[in-house]
Amino acid sequence: MSRAVPNLMGLALLPSALFFALFFFLPIGLMAVMSFLTGNPVVMPNVVATTRHYERILEDPFYFEVMWTTVRIGLWTTAITLLLGYPLAHLMARVKSRSLHALLLMAVLMPMLTGIVVRTFAWMALLSDKGVVNQLLQGLGFAPMQLMYNEFGIVLGLVHIYLPFMILTLTGVIGRIDERLEQAAQNLGASPIRAFVEVTLPLSVPGILAGSLLVFALAISAYVTPILMGGFQIMTLPILIYQQISANFNIGFAAALGMVLLALSLVLVVAYNHILAALSGQRDLQ
Amino acid sequence: MLSIKIGRFAYLAANWAVLIFLLLPIAIIFVFALNPTPYIEFPPVGVSLKWFDKFFASSQFMSALLLSLEVAALTTVAATVLGASAALGIARGNVPGSRAITAIMLSPLMLPAILTGLALFQTYVLMDVGRPLWGLVVGHCLVTVPYVVRTTLAVLHNFDLRLEEAARNLGASPQRTFFEITLPLIKPGVIAGGIFAFIVSFDQFPVSLFLVSPGQETLPITLFNYLKYDLDGTIGAASVVSILLAALVVIGLDRTVGLRSYVKL
Repeated sequence: MSRAVPNLMGLALLPSALFFALFFFLPIGLMAVMSFLTGNPVVMPNVVATTRHYERILEDPFYFEVMWTTVRIGLWTTAITLLLGYPLAHLMARVKSRSLHALLLMAVLMPMLTGIVVRTFAWMALLSDKGVVNQLLQGLGFAPMQLMYNEFGIVLGLVHIYLPFMILTLTGVIGRIDERLEQAAQNLGASPIRAFVEVTLPLSVPGILAGSLLVFALAISAYVTPILMGGFQIMTLPILIYQQISANFNIGFAAALGMVLLALSLVLVVAYNHILAALSGQRDLQ
Repeated sequence: MLSIKIGRFAYLAANWAVLIFLLLPIAIIFVFALNPTPYIEFPPVGVSLKWFDKFFASSQFMSALLLSLEVAALTTVAATVLGASAALGIARGNVPGSRAITAIMLSPLMLPAILTGLALFQTYVLMDVGRPLWGLVVGHCLVTVPYVVRTTLAVLHNFDLRLEEAARNLGASPQRTFFEITLPLIKPGVIAGGIFAFIVSFDQFPVSLFLVSPGQETLPITLFNYLKYDLDGTIGAASVVSILLAALVVIGLDRTVGLRSYVKL
């Protein structure tokens, strides 16, 4: 093919390109600039460049603690999502009946189409001190348990919210694995479990990686669930960012924290895209 | 052979458990909304619609619901126009770097939505425009345009280019070919994207968090503020209303264009 020459239809790109430049890339660029300024240059005359926001993040152990909490919650969420999501993704990829597949898909999508605030409310109704689980426990004569206002509650809520993302990513990858490979292993005498562990599981590793990166990236940027399930007791990076705006109105420090979250997310997203691109490259070769 | 049976049983049991885990919380919302006491009691004491009465009688919830519907409607129109034209430009414009352009158009879905909200909020502060309604719609468009781009591109890639060529060969002008062949053929993808845009905007929280003006909040933000202090059936009723609205839209999607082809990550 000769060198691409844009035609008239190329002009259709202009409105959205302009929109993204003005309202997405410019704001993120401004956020980067603000993270190196002492204040709002529009209203304050004596704003100077500074690295003090980043120094503050590095020097105060409190912020390190916040980041570690955020990452720890992300890791737990990712691991549990993977454990719960894999069997269902496997079933969805292998099920023969079209109607059963459609039903499973509906079951996975239904929570996705329910807003995050509503789903977090459902978990609060289940796990709060006077919630359904504790009422049941007391009805059966047990002592009530502290099921939320801690990291356990946050992780449970996040697992519920991001499980569909893991299932859909894994289903796509497992569905591409030729089922006959597993059957061949079984015909050669391997037990179903061994055939799974030695054939299907290794072949689905790219899906596991892609799904895990996606869920981890989503979990560390969650706001609603950590704040409500944590009962305002546990501080994560997104909560800290919002607090800097709403309570302290420290735009520069919020921007610096935002840049940290952005950098972390970019690394994860690039890795995710590489894995998916490698996967589709493999498919093209076949 | 016993171990195979146990393995099979464990596999099915695990799947049932995961399905229950996914759906039970949603069922609980309905129980909560219809339960007459503020907390669910065992055994249940009856069924009541009083929380729905309270929800529909609350001016705070009603103005939030109306604002959410208004923002979602405006977002759907704007995102559909922007996203569909972007997809047409990518697929038909013969523009170099179309792969990179696609990645850029999808990027707001890959980055934390809370940062999209924060960056826009800072920009509005620097511009000194306050927190206008259009600012909120702009934020919602950023996270909904990618869906329209994706669904429209999916249709454009599966589309027989010879149909357009045939129209041209039979003497149709490029404009006529576009309006009579291309546009009708990509319509299902555009509609599907628009429906996604509506739901994503209607349920949107992280982008709205920084962009709503106090006292004039969307339904998810109002629910969130209510949840901070109170946990009663009103919130259940509000949740049921928003679930039913989203479900209606999805059933519409399934009826008009089919669901399966658009569920890709």
